[in-house]
Amino acid sequence: MNERAAATAAYRVLVVDDDPDMVRFLAHLLQREGMSVETAGDGKSALLKVMTSPPDLMLLDVVMPGVSGFDVCRELKSDEATALIPIVLVTALEDTESRVRGIEAGADDFLSKPVKLEELIARVKTLRRLHETRKELESRRLAAEVQRKEAIRKAFSRYISPRLADRIADAAGEHGDPFQGRNQRTSLVALFADLRGFTRLTEQNEAGALLGMLNEYFAVLTEAAYQHDGTIFNMAGDSLLVGFNVPFPQPDAAERAWRTALEMVARFEPVAAAWQARHGLAVGVGIGICTGEAIIGNPVNIAARLMQMAAAGEVLLCGPVYERIRHLVPVQRVEGRGDVTLRGKSEPIPVYAVRAGTREPA
Amino acid sequence: MTDHQLTVTIAKDLADLIPMFFENRKKEIASLRTALAAGDFEQLRQLGHRMKGVGNSYGFAAISEIGKRVEDGARAADRAGINACLGEYADYLSRVQVVYE
Repeated sequence: MNERAAATAAYRVLVVDDDPDMVRFLAHLLQREGMSVETAGDGKSALLKVMTSPPDLMLLDVVMPGVSGFDVCRELKSDEATALIPIVLVTALEDTESRVRGIEAGADDFLSKPVKLEELIARVKTLRRLHETRKELESRRLAAEVQRKEAIRKAFSRYISPRLADRIADAAGEHGDPFQGRNQRTSLVALFADLRGFTRLTEQNEAGALLGMLNEYFAVLTEAAYQHDGTIFNMAGDSLLVGFNVPFPQPDAAERAWRTALEMVARFEPVAAAWQARHGLAVGVGIGICTGEAIIGNPVNIAARLMQMAAAGEVLLCGPVYERIRHLVPVQRVEGRGDVTLRGKSEPIPVYAVRAGTREPA
Repeated sequence: MTDHQLTVTIAKDLADLIPMFFENRKKEIASLRTALAAGDFEQLRQLGHRMKGVGNSYGFAAISEIGKRVEDGARAADRAGINACLGEYADYLSRVQVVYE
């Protein structure tokens, strides 16, 4: 293979004609220009070749027995996988009607028999440039999309589970705005967790040590939240706010919140035991869960109040959340607190306490 | 009968293709005769159409020109006209000289 041929061997042309002399003639001219050529003697085998090994360009005869060039062209152009392959219709017919039929079938260009070398090469090269530009643009578009998705994934990954971050990034790729059309007033399940015994912890530990302990604590709680696809809304001091049913609907949001609470308590137990052994401190997670409409407002405030009331290893639930998850809780672990008027609230709400941990409340 | 030029100049790099090209033209004559004997004008039309496309591409204008007349004759079901074309075609193929440059 000469130098020019080697440089362009990757460009593959499929020549389709029922006349073997025409096929050999066209193949010869293209190979002389350094292109790689495959051939087919009828429409049916041309379609098969394209499906098994798509070429970069097709020279397609129109008048063939069986499946005509128009039919082959129409079929390939209607299939997303092959629509971008440039097709040059080669025909002895020079009448307008054939060209119109060719255009309707989706042909990219035409070449009349007798085929003139200069014309053939000029058309093939032009289409090749166009095809390569199109492929380049497509690969740039794909690269930009990947970059954009990665940026979205990074932006969200601090707050939501990797699964949800992927979902948002994918939705962003498809629709532009991943939250487009979402109802602004969503029914939210809010879970508030904080560390019982935190004040004593701050009194007895240096800032550096405290930071390490808090990191350990938040890592455990965040893992539990991600496990059940919760969204981290806020992390301040020793408290963590996790939302469910946002940003994507979760019909089992209450159950997810409940399982997250159990997991938070269970995962933190060995950490608390280690701290107790090391510092002699009794600590534990207190959790409040409530549900209601809107992201900021009532459910979050109530969950925060419930959390403040919860002892270490205890989960306090508002009535509607308890109703949703009561089938998951052993009745002996539940203590109905009756209707409680929470600080800053005028209406009393039913509150249930569930002991989640295996240790006694601190 | 058209006075066809009997010496045809062809690009040197097509030389390898020419022997096979002429082999196929001989087969073509046989196919044309069979189709004419059977009165298969559709077959004659297709063969004429093919001659029209391939002849000139290789540089043999006479073959394209005879092919066009065969195609037109087949459309008109003109047996005598096609028969004359076939004689002319056979004569041309037996006498044509190829020069490569």
